[in-house]
Amino acid sequence: MRSTLTLMAGVAAVAVSAAMVNAGEMGKYPPLAPLGEPPIPLDNKQSDAKVELGKILFWDPRIGGDASTACVTCHEPDQGWAFGDSLSRGYPGTVHWRNSQSVINTAYLGQLFWAGSAASLEKQAPSAAKGAVAGNGENDVMETRMAFIPEYRVRFKEVFGTEYPLIGDAWAAIAAFERTLIVNDTPVDKYLAGDKSALSEEQVAGMELFNGKAGCIQCHNGAQATDENYYNLGVPPAERWEEDGLAQVTFRYELYAKGVTQEMYRKLKDDPGLYFRTKEADHMGKFRTPPLRYTAYTAPYMHNGSFWDLREVVEFYNAGGGENDFTDGTMAATKSDLIKPLGLTDEEMDQLVAFLEAFSGDELRVDPPELPPYEALASE
Amino acid sequence: MKISRFKSGSVTLGAALMCATVLAGPVTAEDMALGPVVGPEINEAKAALGKRLFFDVRLSGDAAISCATCHQPDKAFSDGLALSLAYPGSKGFRNTPTLVNTATAANWFHDGRLGTNLNDVTRESITEDYSMNMDMRLMQERIKQDPVYVEMFEAAGYGEPSNGSVRKAIPEYLNTLISKNAPFDTGSMSEAATRGQALFEGKAGCVSCHNGPRLTDDMAYNTAVPDNPEIWSDPMRHMTYAAFASFMGVENYMNVRRDVGAQIIRHPVDGSDVGKFNTPTLRELKYTAPYMHNGMIATLADVVAFYNNGGGDDVNKDERMKPLGLSDAEQADLVAFLEALSGDPLTGPEYVWEDEIPTNYPAIENWRDVSN
Repeated sequence: MRSTLTLMAGVAAVAVSAAMVNAGEMGKYPPLAPLGEPPIPLDNKQSDAKVELGKILFWDPRIGGDASTACVTCHEPDQGWAFGDSLSRGYPGTVHWRNSQSVINTAYLGQLFWAGSAASLEKQAPSAAKGAVAGNGENDVMETRMAFIPEYRVRFKEVFGTEYPLIGDAWAAIAAFERTLIVNDTPVDKYLAGDKSALSEEQVAGMELFNGKAGCIQCHNGAQATDENYYNLGVPPAERWEEDGLAQVTFRYELYAKGVTQEMYRKLKDDPGLYFRTKEADHMGKFRTPPLRYTAYTAPYMHNGSFWDLREVVEFYNAGGGENDFTDGTMAATKSDLIKPLGLTDEEMDQLVAFLEAFSGDELRVDPPELPPYEALASE
Repeated sequence: MKISRFKSGSVTLGAALMCATVLAGPVTAEDMALGPVVGPEINEAKAALGKRLFFDVRLSGDAAISCATCHQPDKAFSDGLALSLAYPGSKGFRNTPTLVNTATAANWFHDGRLGTNLNDVTRESITEDYSMNMDMRLMQERIKQDPVYVEMFEAAGYGEPSNGSVRKAIPEYLNTLISKNAPFDTGSMSEAATRGQALFEGKAGCVSCHNGPRLTDDMAYNTAVPDNPEIWSDPMRHMTYAAFASFMGVENYMNVRRDVGAQIIRHPVDGSDVGKFNTPTLRELKYTAPYMHNGMIATLADVVAFYNNGGGDDVNKDERMKPLGLSDAEQADLVAFLEALSGDPLTGPEYVWEDEIPTNYPAIENWRDVSN
């Protein structure tokens, strides 16, 4: 089995001998495209009432363990609907173990979280609300809390027809709200739809690099600018794991909670990414290609927030990525063959950054909802 | 053996014997004898470790509370509140029971839902969402990050810190919490208390349930203690109870408006276990007011008066709950006896971890070079 894998890797290396995408290869990748309207699952249709309910729930810290941590706590609208630190803040008494991702345009994704562990927004929400270093909530408590909020009883009954709110319906409502967090009128969307004045010359040059010399399109393709596939780029391990006791606690907790082998629990010093889900050795260190939309607002970048601005990210790629425990053979050697030095000039890197910024559009802000209070049920 | 003490409750004794036999093997007259509580042998290193864990807030999900938040040493490891605190975001619906002598109990929690051992009690208390809401896997990794614990686990013979060993060490600490120097045990009771004991074992019939060294038969009965209305008027208490009832499989839990007590264990369809609560220990009562499973009775005099009146009103009330016809003086004697069952407070370094426990975590400096 091992020799087959090695052989396959070798073939891939030969096939893509340089990151540069030549004209003949361009057609291999779905082109960048205007985003259009998000897909809506048949089993969770949108309605104004459901979206409004989901919005309130998104802000409500009672949907969590100690009533301190809401969805919005780590997905803050003024921080790109993400969290502006390398590792997300985590539940009180903890720090999270990965960078918080933006909620914007997640409606289009088929795989949520950095290792794609949730296949829908309806599944992502409970996973975040219940994880010990995220929301640390439990279903019974979260569900019964909602029953003591009269406004929720009315709203859930209207939307879902239940006497008392059900926690599964809360996730559906939150997902419906998240499907309204769409930014699909960026300069790039306008340009790709035919408005050639929407991008500056610098940005157009950046797009050409993106599709050509820089080879970004190989993974960041299609309307979402992601192939939703998994790669190891050699992003270095989070510095905080070496410096911060709290982060070390969480790192080991994830190894324990995600059920790696005893040997892996002892040895791993870097986030094995997709391996957590599949337990396949050749998946170590691989993460899902993130979408590039809205990235102007979501610094820092990468699964562990290693880079603080887009220029740093571009420089990282230009250098041919980096090294981590899964590139140097310490634990594995899974670095993608697509990651090679790009030979971009300073000006070209500026052009790429300018293009990425044009992929972000205006910031999406909403007025925070008013949280409805608890009230006694006993008089009923 | 003073077998005569059982005469007044002979019918009761038979019933208690039958029930208890089913659960915990034959109850002998010796089991029921009043006398000093004898605790288990103690392993000092394990108990010291358990003591530090007991006082460490990092054992709760958000590092806000420790076991000692609700089980305070100067209150005989209760909290002085009618209804307990709970994990932040929830509020309790029962009175915090004492932990003194809990090492020799046969079942735990006011509804008696755990009849196994303190290992399970520890697990339940740490992990339950309304108590400490801790993912024990995260707890283990927190503990491993503290060099003091790493040493203490090693010294205790547990090897590297693990959540399994936490569930052994805390019970070992609880084994040290045994009543000490109660006048009843030292033979230094007042005359009033001595008269009270005679009533306790005779006319008042207390001994039919409150027997053995801890003065409890560890069985559940319905004495018709009034429900605590605050559970239903305070939405945070009510929701905590509703979440509990939902988890415990109580039918129609959103419409329940009383604490169903031991009904959650067997769920008899006729509801006959509704309102049954475990006989509490009568030791250390001096420190553990207010009383009853829901803190509804403020003083021992009121408790005695409650029994003297034959308890409260409930369709399931135990038929032995009858007016006792005790005079004021007799009731005062009973109170004196109850007070004589309290010993020295278990405070001071023998029982309390007095050193500061850090709430942060030092980084492991050569992290990349050492095994996790």
